[in-house]
Amino acid sequence: MRKSYLCLSAILIASAVALPHAASAIALKETPYFVSDVAAGKLPPVEERAPLEPSVADFDRASATPGKPGGTIRILMSKAKETRQMVVYGYARLIGYNYKLELVSDILKEYVVEEGRIFTLRLRKGHKWSDGQPFTTEDFRYWWEDMANNAELSPSGPPIKMLSEGAKPTVTIVSDTEIRYEWPTPNPEFIPALAQASPMYIFAPAHYLKQFHGAYQDPAKLDEMVKAENRRNWASLHNRMDNAYNTDNPTLPTLEPWVVATAPPAERFVFKRNPYYHRVDPNGVQLPYIDEVNMDIVAGSLIPAKAGSGEVDLQGRYLQFKNTPFLKQNEDQYGYVTHLWRTGKGAQLALYPNLNIADPVWRAVFRDVRFRRALSLATNRTEINEVIYFGVALPQNNALLPGSPLYNEADAMAYADFNLKKANALLDDMGLKRGDDGVRRLPDGRKAEIIVESAGESTEETDVLQLVHDTWLKAGIKIYTKPLQREVLRNRVFAGETQIAIWFGLENGLASPQMSPEEFAPTSQQHLQWPMWGQYLETKGKAGQPIDMPEAQQLYDHYLAWRGAADAKAQTEQWQAMTRLFADQVYTIGLVSGALQPIVATKKLRNLPAEGYYNWDPGAHFGCYRPDSFWLASK
Amino acid sequence: MLRYIIKRVLTMIPTLCAISVLVFIIIQLPPGDFLTTQIAELRAQGMDANNAKIEFLRQQYGLDRPMWEQYAIWLFGMLQGDFGYSFEYDLPVTEVVGDRLYLSFLLSFATILFTWAMAFPIGVYSAVNQYSVGDHALTFIGFLGLATPNFLLALVMMYLAKVHFGISIGGLMDPQYLDQPFSYGKFISVLEHLWVPVIVIGTSGTAGMIRRLRANLLDELQKQYVTTARAKGLSPRRALIKYPLRMSLNPFIADIGNLLPQVVSGAAVVSMVLSLPTTGPMLIEALRSQDMYLAGSFLMFLAMLTVVGVLLSDIALAALDPRIRLGAGTER
Repeated sequence: MRKSYLCLSAILIASAVALPHAASAIALKETPYFVSDVAAGKLPPVEERAPLEPSVADFDRASATPGKPGGTIRILMSKAKETRQMVVYGYARLIGYNYKLELVSDILKEYVVEEGRIFTLRLRKGHKWSDGQPFTTEDFRYWWEDMANNAELSPSGPPIKMLSEGAKPTVTIVSDTEIRYEWPTPNPEFIPALAQASPMYIFAPAHYLKQFHGAYQDPAKLDEMVKAENRRNWASLHNRMDNAYNTDNPTLPTLEPWVVATAPPAERFVFKRNPYYHRVDPNGVQLPYIDEVNMDIVAGSLIPAKAGSGEVDLQGRYLQFKNTPFLKQNEDQYGYVTHLWRTGKGAQLALYPNLNIADPVWRAVFRDVRFRRALSLATNRTEINEVIYFGVALPQNNALLPGSPLYNEADAMAYADFNLKKANALLDDMGLKRGDDGVRRLPDGRKAEIIVESAGESTEETDVLQLVHDTWLKAGIKIYTKPLQREVLRNRVFAGETQIAIWFGLENGLASPQMSPEEFAPTSQQHLQWPMWGQYLETKGKAGQPIDMPEAQQLYDHYLAWRGAADAKAQTEQWQAMTRLFADQVYTIGLVSGALQPIVATKKLRNLPAEGYYNWDPGAHFGCYRPDSFWLASK
Repeated sequence: MLRYIIKRVLTMIPTLCAISVLVFIIIQLPPGDFLTTQIAELRAQGMDANNAKIEFLRQQYGLDRPMWEQYAIWLFGMLQGDFGYSFEYDLPVTEVVGDRLYLSFLLSFATILFTWAMAFPIGVYSAVNQYSVGDHALTFIGFLGLATPNFLLALVMMYLAKVHFGISIGGLMDPQYLDQPFSYGKFISVLEHLWVPVIVIGTSGTAGMIRRLRANLLDELQKQYVTTARAKGLSPRRALIKYPLRMSLNPFIADIGNLLPQVVSGAAVVSMVLSLPTTGPMLIEALRSQDMYLAGSFLMFLAMLTVVGVLLSDIALAALDPRIRLGAGTER
């Protein structure tokens, strides 16, 4: 569906700076960490390092206060390549989510969206890369012309989210600090892609990367560098050097609050504060407050033990809910606190009946909405919550969570109550008669026995399935659990061999209208309830099967309408229609949602909220709470 | 003897070639390749990885080429000392392994010393005082060591070390020394952390060694030459050490063949549990993520050490025990 809008229906001006002009009035203070370097002339003073128009942290979150700079915090990861988590925690984005999950400009001074298709981005004057070189629209041009549209660096063309209905944008450089992207049709995925935990980078440090680029570097010298680095060609060398997300190249300039100082391989990675960071606090102290972050690489299974003995200052990754009693017990002895944050997935675990299963009888049964509703009604979510999650999770279906602006209780609770009578009535209505053993029979006489396949990665799945087994049996459906390897499971689902898979629920349970509702429509092969439809649309009809269920087609139409919508109101309407239909059709059976994630932090750490959402995207784990504003008190 | 050694060395070549083919096939056996495991991991975290990018990477890593070609590239690279490229670390294999090899050697060396220092006297005592209270007690302890799962012992000891001695959990040194140059403090910290893995890894080896030494020595002590020696008035000490003990040393020597590869891969599970910066966990991780050149190089290295180790122990045995030497002679 294409919509052409007559007027500038939505002009959105967002800015992280509450009072943009007050910023220049703030007198900046030199950071103690850099005092000696500045005195020795190795670094320019803070007034010349911070942008002329810095972002000013607003501390509008309850109990967040400006603090003092200094100190080192320790975090733990289990693999060297997880240095990329620092890009997630640092969370410097052109446009990012704040803790209310609203999109606000961060690196950008401001941005303007017209008709959902013209995006004007304005940079901060005097903003510099971590090596002191100016950050300008040249860095955007270099990325667009010399990287994204270079056949050797990007053989498949620019990232898909830079295309709207297949069309590239017209890029206009207005000035050193202003750039415009203009598509012929709305591109609603553009801004959220910039704000992701793993963002789409539409700029790159041109001054640094040109030395590795075939169009800029002398071929003989480039050849030498390619050989020295043991690479196949310059494109491969360029890719190796430009790994903004992986953070494995200490010489690559960045805009993040902390810059990696250790080259892999190492057991400990040190991240040092970026002297040119773009944010200051209201007192004129340049952020981040914390000078250094030490990331130690240890076995993942040891991380809870180390967290529980005070050997870490901020940790969420690799801690599990079941570690909570141990973590709480040692708090006083080792001087840390354990916060419990809600996870942001639509469901901790959900069941995915395979609508594309190869077996025609089962396919007909799974596609009957009465069957899916009956299974959902025969699930005792309260019991699962009490037995496995100590009653602290939310017994709702696989839907948006209460933290989302689009949350609707009717959708979340649709067919989520435990009602065996209704479930049995629905199944009787379908004509699935019970045999002598109490198990129902399919239309062709086979028993209604379902193998639920799991990725076999945790005992949590099997424990929960045991409970599901008991209540479903009362509705005459017998299930068996079969743990597989993750890859094997996926391939079986894709091939239509799996009956029901158990997996996490919706990735994004905290969606707002600007975020893509792609998870609610058959848009990807990765959706375990309709992999072949997703594959068909992903490959533009080369593989998979076309959607042959009216309700699923409706969902897809709504999704296209969302893409074409030019303002938040129209987007909200499409979202609501989709969540309602998705819930009513019970395409997935969520078992329990909003499980808790323990977060361990030293008692000295300030500005880390005691309650929050621990989510990948949106949220970037700690990112949306702005770790650059965390600081260490003396006790 | 020289001809024997040359012959043995020559037979090593086809053996290693056959092993290299096997290693390559086994690494490729699980479905998918490094990129598919990688993508699955990315998707599980909610990151997107689009198909075009994956194709591009597959091309860059050379994973799109036919199997035999990948094998040929790997084999010829190895012959020239180029062990290939680790996908996971995005670095040459030799750089990735780097320091870990030294720490592995240190740990294994300390463990071997510990094993021998414990097993030797206990084994001799048990054999000489067969069925005494001491023999039973020591055997009992030895069996306990053999029967306790290593990883469990590792967890318990690690906990005790933290609670009673305040030693940081896991690793081979305190985190504060990780990026420091070598110093006295670092050395002490390494020693503090070393004893837990040494005891944990050493216990099962010690128990096995005690049993073998005891059994061998008992065999020897029954023999007539011992009786004769005693009858001729040799002191009990000399009658024990001069001949029977020397004979029963064979298992120690024969063990060298096994020890060499263990230096690299030994106690991988314990090292995983204790998060030691040794090569064992790296090998397991490489196999898990199908980082094929890293895993392949490790396995080839292990194969080579085994083959060399067996050769060395055969030569040492021949040198030590004339009966073996004679046996080799009659064969020829």
